[in-house]
Amino acid sequence: MRTIEFALNGERTRVTVEPHETLLAVLRQRLAATEVKSGCERGDCGACAVMLDDKAINSCLTLAVQVEGKAVLTVRGLGAPEAPHPLQAAFVELGAAQCGICIPGMLVSLYALLREHPRATRREIREAIGGNLCRCTGYHKIVDAAEAAARRLAAAPR
Amino acid sequence: MTDPSGSGFRVVGERLPRPDARDKVHGLLRYADDLALGGMLQAKVVRAIRPSARILGIDTSRARAVPGVKCVLTARNVPNNVLFSDVPGQTTTVGPLRARTQVLADDVVRYLGEAVALVAAETEEAAEEAARLVAVEYVDLPGVYDPEAAMQPDAPPLEPTGNVISRWKIRKGDVEAGFREADVVIAETYRTGLIDHAFIEPEAGVGWLDDNGVVTLRVATQVIEHFRDVANVLGLPHSRVRIIAPYIGGGFGGKEDVTVEVFLGLLVWKTGRPVRLCYSREESILSPTKRHPFVMKYRHGARRDGTLVALQVELISDAGGYAYLSPLTLLYAMVHAAGPYRIPHVRVDGVSVLTNNPPTSAFRGFGSAQPAFAYESQMDALARALGMDPLAFREKNYLGKGERLASGQELETAVLLPETARRVWQALGPPSAPSGPGKRVGRGLASALTAYGRIVWLHDWSSAWIELQMDGTVLIRTGVPDIGGGQAASLIQIAAELLGVRQEEIAIHIGDSALTPLAGTTTATRQLYMSGSAVHKAASELRATLVEQTAELLQVPPAAVELADGMAYARTNGERKISFKELAAACARAHRSRSAFAIYQAPAGQVMDFETGQGKVFPDFTFGSQAVEVEVDETTGEVQVQRVAACYDVGRAINRNSVEGQIEGGVAMGIGYALLEEDRVAAGITQTPNLMTYLIPTALDVPDVTSIILESGEGMGPWGARGIGEPALVPTAPAIANAVFDAIGVRVTRLPITPERLWRARQAQEAAPAR
Amino acid sequence: MLLPRFEYRHATSLVQATTLLAENPEARPLAGGTDLLVDLRERRQTPRVLVDIGALPELAGITAADGGLAIGGGVTVGELLASSLVFERAPALRQAAHDFADFLTRNRATLGGNLANASPGADLVIPLLALDARVVLAGPGGERGLSLDGFLRGPRQTALAAGELVRAVVLPVAGGRQFFYKLGLKRGGAIAVVSVATRVELEGDGRCRAAAIALGAVAPRPFRASEAEAALRGHVLTPDRIAHAADLAAAAARPISDVRGGDDYRRAMVRALVARALSLSPPGNG
Repeated sequence: MRTIEFALNGERTRVTVEPHETLLAVLRQRLAATEVKSGCERGDCGACAVMLDDKAINSCLTLAVQVEGKAVLTVRGLGAPEAPHPLQAAFVELGAAQCGICIPGMLVSLYALLREHPRATRREIREAIGGNLCRCTGYHKIVDAAEAAARRLAAAPR
Repeated sequence: MTDPSGSGFRVVGERLPRPDARDKVHGLLRYADDLALGGMLQAKVVRAIRPSARILGIDTSRARAVPGVKCVLTARNVPNNVLFSDVPGQTTTVGPLRARTQVLADDVVRYLGEAVALVAAETEEAAEEAARLVAVEYVDLPGVYDPEAAMQPDAPPLEPTGNVISRWKIRKGDVEAGFREADVVIAETYRTGLIDHAFIEPEAGVGWLDDNGVVTLRVATQVIEHFRDVANVLGLPHSRVRIIAPYIGGGFGGKEDVTVEVFLGLLVWKTGRPVRLCYSREESILSPTKRHPFVMKYRHGARRDGTLVALQVELISDAGGYAYLSPLTLLYAMVHAAGPYRIPHVRVDGVSVLTNNPPTSAFRGFGSAQPAFAYESQMDALARALGMDPLAFREKNYLGKGERLASGQELETAVLLPETARRVWQALGPPSAPSGPGKRVGRGLASALTAYGRIVWLHDWSSAWIELQMDGTVLIRTGVPDIGGGQAASLIQIAAELLGVRQEEIAIHIGDSALTPLAGTTTATRQLYMSGSAVHKAASELRATLVEQTAELLQVPPAAVELADGMAYARTNGERKISFKELAAACARAHRSRSAFAIYQAPAGQVMDFETGQGKVFPDFTFGSQAVEVEVDETTGEVQVQRVAACYDVGRAINRNSVEGQIEGGVAMGIGYALLEEDRVAAGITQTPNLMTYLIPTALDVPDVTSIILESGEGMGPWGARGIGEPALVPTAPAIANAVFDAIGVRVTRLPITPERLWRARQAQEAAPAR
Repeated sequence: MLLPRFEYRHATSLVQATTLLAENPEARPLAGGTDLLVDLRERRQTPRVLVDIGALPELAGITAADGGLAIGGGVTVGELLASSLVFERAPALRQAAHDFADFLTRNRATLGGNLANASPGADLVIPLLALDARVVLAGPGGERGLSLDGFLRGPRQTALAAGELVRAVVLPVAGGRQFFYKLGLKRGGAIAVVSVATRVELEGDGRCRAAAIALGAVAPRPFRASEAEAALRGHVLTPDRIAHAADLAAAAARPISDVRGGDDYRRAMVRALVARALSLSPPGNG
């Protein structure tokens, strides 16, 4: 057992974990961060994606002990219902979420993309969510929403 | 807000954002595995590691000895170790089918992964360890893994009555005479694969013992009515089991049959503790159910002028280890087998056969997707054999309103097939140039009909309750599980239209078998039709009450009252507007009920004639077409879908975003069906145990989709709406197969069309003597 | 399914990492974890100790070296993909990085991990093999270098000794035209059915000065089709010459049949893809 400390959505978080516990399991079961979804536990589906510092990663293939001193951002850290991130707002407006189970991971990948490539093309958007499986939407409205959010972010004053 | 679009509607047809989407994008929605309760035990299922074996004994002693283990259950601990699915009308060779599935394998296991024992422990680690330590002694039994082999007299029988669990037939006209009239005959055998639903949320749930000893299960299911199954297994009155399933992480038919419900119920009942059970992805792929693989032997005859004259079909579906809904899926396949075409002479024979493969049952398209691959490939081949344009050939043969299917059912509502086909073909635009050497571009078309709503002799119904609350907002209660199609949002939109309030003023409680009026299953593309109609009815009743109350307050005739923008007023004098809050108070003072409960009964029908297969089976159908453009790599056999256009007459689009969402998602799933997906099973053992090997489409495998929505207003649902959930998937695979043929002149008759299969088909064609 | 229990050691220097690994025969290095943790979950490996080498500065960075490149073993696939040096000097490697798994996995998976895991179809290994890469291994006793070809021993087998890590991969100057193609079963996240990397350099008169053909997923380990390469050297790449070389490459393949493809299909695809790669090399200039 060891106690790790990291920033979870900007809040200093301390938790005691076993070395073999994945970040996904600790987030969901110890820290009630159930917004991070579990779909395959082997890096195939992207439902568990979170930002680890400045990169989007699968939390099922990251050990909790590895995030010591780092910053973890989940979909809840992107924006709040009263102040949604443009991606979240566009997903609601354009009907990009159906069953919604893939959406938290999907949004994290897109957030990572738009941070580095604010003017991402539809092709780049599709590449960025290549590891986020969705079984409901056919991805079309997800790409629409990401594109709309990118436009909004580009237009927003810095 | 009053009819901004000029459609005659206020909010129907609008692209309103779904109320549930906000929770979903912020990670606030609690799915079945997102609930944690104090003292919750962790459960695991022990599954058979043989596809066909006798259980000689189960030793649970080592499992029980693992610290933290609270409960280990085997078949002998289950009060009633059987689940039934009744199949009305199977009266021929197999008798009235009371399809039985054992909850936990007792004597024999019939497929790999069949549940043998349950474990509940204080930690997941202890539960996993205990599950590993349950020692099951097996002796292999002869297995049968091919449905055609399973039909042979010497095949090892899974049931004492044999492996054939269902036979249906359709007889229309004189097929021999029909083929004598034919100038061209095309005969081909088509095969489709075993498909996993692959929802991103695995089967999961949490259960607890609630007040009054009610076993309460909050699970991912499309069918909260499974409370009855759980109660039957536990030997409890139905009122002692409650199932809660509001928002589900995808269903597609895979959460239609019982999955975790009974296991959770047993463990909660035995331990008295809250219990969590969530399948791993591997377990989800291993456990029931899947989409049926079909063998489909088709023979079509047509005259030189392109008139279809005869069709003979033989359908064989692989039911896997247990019947589940296989006989019904086969019945759907029978009725859809001839497609939306006018054919005077038709004979269809179908059988469903038990094997030691994974059990198959409901899956989006429910028996209508497999034959569509066959009949639309046939239409394409016939058109080419006749030298006709595939669109013109179809237009000559499409059924129209007032005509009858091969099963005798009259098409009583609009059939806009010619328009759907023309529109999608046009929408593809000018052809793309090949992207490089060795690449060929091709285009394909497919049309289909797909039933929505349950079989008319099953007497389907739904119910809903609606109330004007004291604060002037509106509350709906109905037992609908929302599996992602926007079921809840559409019900709100329907009520908003009728009551003249913004959707933000309407709340909805769904999917609770104890506290919401039962609405039936979220399956069979029936919720918009059935529960939409129930909400429509309840909201109309509430509206009548409010109109009456307003008329009384304003001293005007009820016909003069308008409800709009959350206010009630007289059209003749709009000065005095009454808020809904005032109206609620007025109703209370007047002892007028502010709530309405309505039951919607679907029009019922007589059971079909089993000897001829003639009769009305479904309430109605949705008709549509899809066109695709593919690029084929001639050398490797890789197929990339570049463009898709889909056009459906949805009767009435309640929420345009949701309709398009169903179409786009259906197309993506159809692309997977056509090109990628197959649960490969060798001698009963799956070779594709995870999402690295079982391939579903990614964002890079699916193009944008052009959706074209027609609204005839002639469907059975609210304002003439039809269902779109299942129909959206059906034409995609044959359209792709036809486009592949168009590109390189090779017809692949087996799904999925993997690069290797296409390469082999091409090799075989090149090796065959030229015709 | 939970991971089995293990001890976790976080290494902060290369020396510490190699020492920890050498002292614990049952230890395994943990870099991106995208292969190792899956193996653990599925009990294909059950090491007692994981030594986290994810933060080692000695394994980081992509640098220009003698006209070629030196790439740290800890460099992620995402870093390869973003690197302009890789884009300019090793386009085949860049293509393999692009086609590697998916966005999320590329942010964790490392070059060293892909090499050490030694899958017969390891995406990055195929272009590196065609580019005559050398591997620098670091162990408790210091560093040693060897050819990538010499590093690969068999399926999941490498020349790594106890305590050794892939410190870096060094690419010599690579002229000519590079090509990489991964034939997979889908666009996103595909695993290779067959992968082919080639590099062809031509003389001014159109004769082949140097040719490299590396093949993945068609033998127990990635390999160079040396007979096919020899058949090209000194010759103009006529269609007949290309077909001959493609046949030799196909004959050298030892594919198996598995869930992703049959052996005959794989062999045919080697022939087809090698021919395609060679046909893309324009005659007359490099």
